[in-house]
Amino acid sequence: MELIDREDHQKLYFQLYEILRKKIESSEWQVGAQIPTEDELCRMFGVSRATVRTAILELVRQGYLKRQQGKGTFVNKNIISEGLNMQTSLKELLLEEGIEIAPRVLARTVMMPVDDLDQRLDITHDKHIIYIRRIWTVQDEPVLLQENYIPYHICPLLLEDDIENHSLFEIFDKKYGIKITQAKNFMDITRLSADEARVFGLEEGSPAILLIQHFYSGETTIMYARSVKRPDRFHFSVELERKVV
Amino acid sequence: MSDGKLVKDLMTGIFEYPHIPYWFSINQAVRIIKISFISTRNYPEPLAILVFDEKYNLMGTLTLKDLLKGLEPRFMHATTKAQVPEEDERGLAFIWDSLFTKKSKELAEKPVSEVMSPAKYFADPNDPVTKAAFLMIHHNLVLLPVLENKKKFVGLVRMVEVFDEISNAITRE
Repeated sequence: MELIDREDHQKLYFQLYEILRKKIESSEWQVGAQIPTEDELCRMFGVSRATVRTAILELVRQGYLKRQQGKGTFVNKNIISEGLNMQTSLKELLLEEGIEIAPRVLARTVMMPVDDLDQRLDITHDKHIIYIRRIWTVQDEPVLLQENYIPYHICPLLLEDDIENHSLFEIFDKKYGIKITQAKNFMDITRLSADEARVFGLEEGSPAILLIQHFYSGETTIMYARSVKRPDRFHFSVELERKVV
Repeated sequence: MSDGKLVKDLMTGIFEYPHIPYWFSINQAVRIIKISFISTRNYPEPLAILVFDEKYNLMGTLTLKDLLKGLEPRFMHATTKAQVPEEDERGLAFIWDSLFTKKSKELAEKPVSEVMSPAKYFADPNDPVTKAAFLMIHHNLVLLPVLENKKKFVGLVRMVEVFDEISNAITRE
């Protein structure tokens, strides 16, 4: 049996939490089974009742264990959700951390939903759309070209906001009280159009990374973004975390 | 003669009209006109699209006539008289559809900036309606943009309201 290592720098309760979690995930403790009492666990691992309680509380919080009043603590689930949830705060740009770059606005205007924009934004064809096109450069070198489409009625004043020094998320949140609650990201390889190639100073048809994003606040589609990144500079970065259901 | 009415009293909102940036193709503009007006049998006066630059300044207006004029050379050559009965006005829809032949499809890829009517004349919200009428008549405008402080695009004057206003003054006893 795995025991607590007192030399380990990690907190005791965390070590105990890890040990117990492994017992659940490996089905040594099966779903539905009652786990040992707090006293028994104290004796088994030679730790205080407070340590045991903290570790169990954490497992309960995560859904591995459930407590039944007057009966004891039982194994609730030993599987992990299949879905991956965004761990870090939602990001507009998936560029790796630590890059200090600011966007330059190439265009900010209004258009109608052409192509499949009405479907992407879940609006009717007569709704106006704010269109923003920005380029992110590092040492004067264009790295990422992003086009944003936002239904005009969601935040009309976005046409006048400072979008070079504030992220759109920040403006949505702080100025309009719109919280982005969900982002759907889709990545692919693409080839630069003549127009995009000109912006990057590359040849038409050069390979590039394509990032398609849909942002939602509850059920409402707030923004559709299409980004193209040259493949040889910087990385997209996505951190994901699995959580128990 | 028009009771001192001002442009701001009768201008309409700019969002009554579709907006597009100047780099949109004629093709895209045609689709927008069709989907916004023609397919819904909604014919506001005039049928027009507003064309903006990348900083959302108004550059011009685009009417059906501008769009057709943009396609004119090919339009005239590509469609024979036999296909277009001259006296049949219902033929307009027919001509419209027949524009989308292979060659006119190429032409329709031209940006709208090449075919729009550039916005050169403007009114101020506090201008008298008579001034708007003068500008529209003498420069053959279907829409007159209204700029606040010569900068911010706040509305449009249409011929129908100008006509109504001026004619009221005349027909009144």
